Amino acid sequence: MNVIECKQLVKMQRNQKTLDHVNFSIKENTITGLIGRNGAGKTTLLKIIAGYWRKTAGDINVFGVNPFNSLFVSANTIFVDDQMSFSNSLSLLDLLEEAGRFYPNWDMSLAKRLFDYFGFLPNQIHENLSKGKKSTFNMIIGLAAHCPLTIFDEPTTGMDVSVRKDFYRALLKDYLEHPRTIIISSHHLEEVEDLLEDILLIKDGRVHLHLTVDGFKEYAVGLRGNSALIYQLVNEEDVLYTNRVGGEYVIVKNTFSHQQAKRLGLEISPVTPNDLCVYLTNTTKGGIDDVFKTS
Amino acid sequence: MLNTDHTKPIYIQIAEWLETEILNGNLKVDEKVYSQYKLAEMFTINPATAAKGLNLLYEEDILYNKRGLGKFVTKDAKEIIVNKRKNQKLKNLIEELVLESERLEMRDGELMEMVQAVIMEKREEGK
Amino acid sequence: MSLKQVSESKIIKNQLLFKLNSFTGVFTSMLALQLLAIFMSYYGSSSMGGGGVYGISYTFSYYSANVVIAFTFLWIFVNSILITTRAYKEDDFHFVTNRMTQNLSNILFLFVASLIGAVTAMLSSFLVKILIYFFKATKGNYLAVDLNALEWFTGLAATILILFMLGSFGYFIGILVQWYKKLAIILPVVLIGTVMALASQGHYILPEIIEFYFMEHSFIVFLLKVIGSAGVLFAAAILISNQQEVRK
Repeated sequence: MNVIECKQLVKMQRNQKTLDHVNFSIKENTITGLIGRNGAGKTTLLKIIAGYWRKTAGDINVFGVNPFNSLFVSANTIFVDDQMSFSNSLSLLDLLEEAGRFYPNWDMSLAKRLFDYFGFLPNQIHENLSKGKKSTFNMIIGLAAHCPLTIFDEPTTGMDVSVRKDFYRALLKDYLEHPRTIIISSHHLEEVEDLLEDILLIKDGRVHLHLTVDGFKEYAVGLRGNSALIYQLVNEEDVLYTNRVGGEYVIVKNTFSHQQAKRLGLEISPVTPNDLCVYLTNTTKGGIDDVFKTS
Repeated sequence: MLNTDHTKPIYIQIAEWLETEILNGNLKVDEKVYSQYKLAEMFTINPATAAKGLNLLYEEDILYNKRGLGKFVTKDAKEIIVNKRKNQKLKNLIEELVLESERLEMRDGELMEMVQAVIMEKREEGK
Repeated sequence: MSLKQVSESKIIKNQLLFKLNSFTGVFTSMLALQLLAIFMSYYGSSSMGGGGVYGISYTFSYYSANVVIAFTFLWIFVNSILITTRAYKEDDFHFVTNRMTQNLSNILFLFVASLIGAVTAMLSSFLVKILIYFFKATKGNYLAVDLNALEWFTGLAATILILFMLGSFGYFIGILVQWYKKLAIILPVVLIGTVMALASQGHYILPEIIEFYFMEHSFIVFLLKVIGSAGVLFAAAILISNQQEVRK
């Protein structure tokens, strides 16, 4: 069953297309990583899915209904980001209790165990927390809500490395016990990739790639060697990135014969998903170096 | 335990880890192997990825299915793994070696001598 | 994970409770304003004196809670605008809601606030009188307390209704401004401009409005007028806000 279905989804904001005919669907009980540059449209997409923002055109279905203004979608979805702010009149413990009142699957025992583990005090006020602590608290709400659709938009902002690690492990363990559909948007693909089943890569408001993580890892490889030989083997349009420092080095779609490459004396090397992401979302094939090309 | 340079697909790393467990004797013939959920928990990875790793071993007849019970180690598992590693991994490694020795313009036999030397060293240590 | 259906009424109830717990600023500002008003009533009040007959001079002083009630009117108006602002509005969307349940729970919240505001304002009139009795009514001064239970309760009901209507007016304005930010400047200019323009032509609209609502002798008609006006304003506010995006 698909939890989310997008067909030709368009969102206009101030006369700009922030989402440009987006098509994809997300299966039930999967963890998907939403990846893209700043301004690619990740948050816009997530806010439309959560029912906060209106679509401009096309179709969006969450649990089979249009999420905008849907109480049903709201009750079964939680959206966690670093913009969450809460009333100063409520202590952290009050907030957990309020959340518990609203979410039908709320797991207070888990919330309290995480609350204690991360060293929160019941009487603290959300606004007085540091950025990382705020993110950690929001994460607790996101996990304990046990919503069939759980969305984390840049959940680890400000968290230090060990808390981030704890968060990912907590997320996975809770997911194993209570399988649900999870979307995480993150700049740190290398940190989340192990957790993910699928990767949804967005570029300029469009879905650039939607693959399994392993498919993503095998999507492209690096080739080093003689430039003429490289282009004898691969099509120019399959090249995602070129670097001429120390001989020709290209990152290219993995659609050629590796055997032939070896025979030609070309060196094949894997590309980390994080690097691949950078190359896929670059606007030029040379990256920042192209800016300094004056010829 | 898993490769941290993020280049090798995790399901392959999982399969290789299980193979090593079988080679080491930590998993014996007809013994039940970890479920995808257990593996996911152990390595903090997605259970679908873990399942893919298990499936890979199933397809290579290293594991067999018992309906509803999980996956178990086949009789020939060890042999299959050894052969596979000899044929694939070792061959790849040797290819790398030869390529590198060509780059370094080593004379014929020099590589063989080096390999021989390492073997001797290991034997000395073993004594 | 199985999907859960939630009932609108349950969510509205939860949101009302959430608001009563978390919008405490609304009620502390009310207490502060009412205390200030009591203080002002205690010191400043209208009085008229008379000349002496047989060497006796007299002064009538009227102490009433009018200032308190006026301040409470102002308070509900300002706070009904405030709860439409982003900081308050976004709070709801961290938890379960849609725009309809949010609006309905806000309306209920304003009603509860009107109730509390009216009761405290009315009771504070007693407080003013008691204060005066103990501290000002010295020997030779006499205190007349005018109290009729039925009248007092009618007054209370009327105050609740007026507060609720003012709340609906503020809420409507707040939603309008949230919908189109420039209205924050345009609206006051247009409203005050219209009143002044009409006044310059000898048409005094404010007294007419006051007369329409407050000079009504039948309580039932008054009730219908107030509830009708509040209903229209709230309905308009719901219609406008129902398409608004949140968590920008």
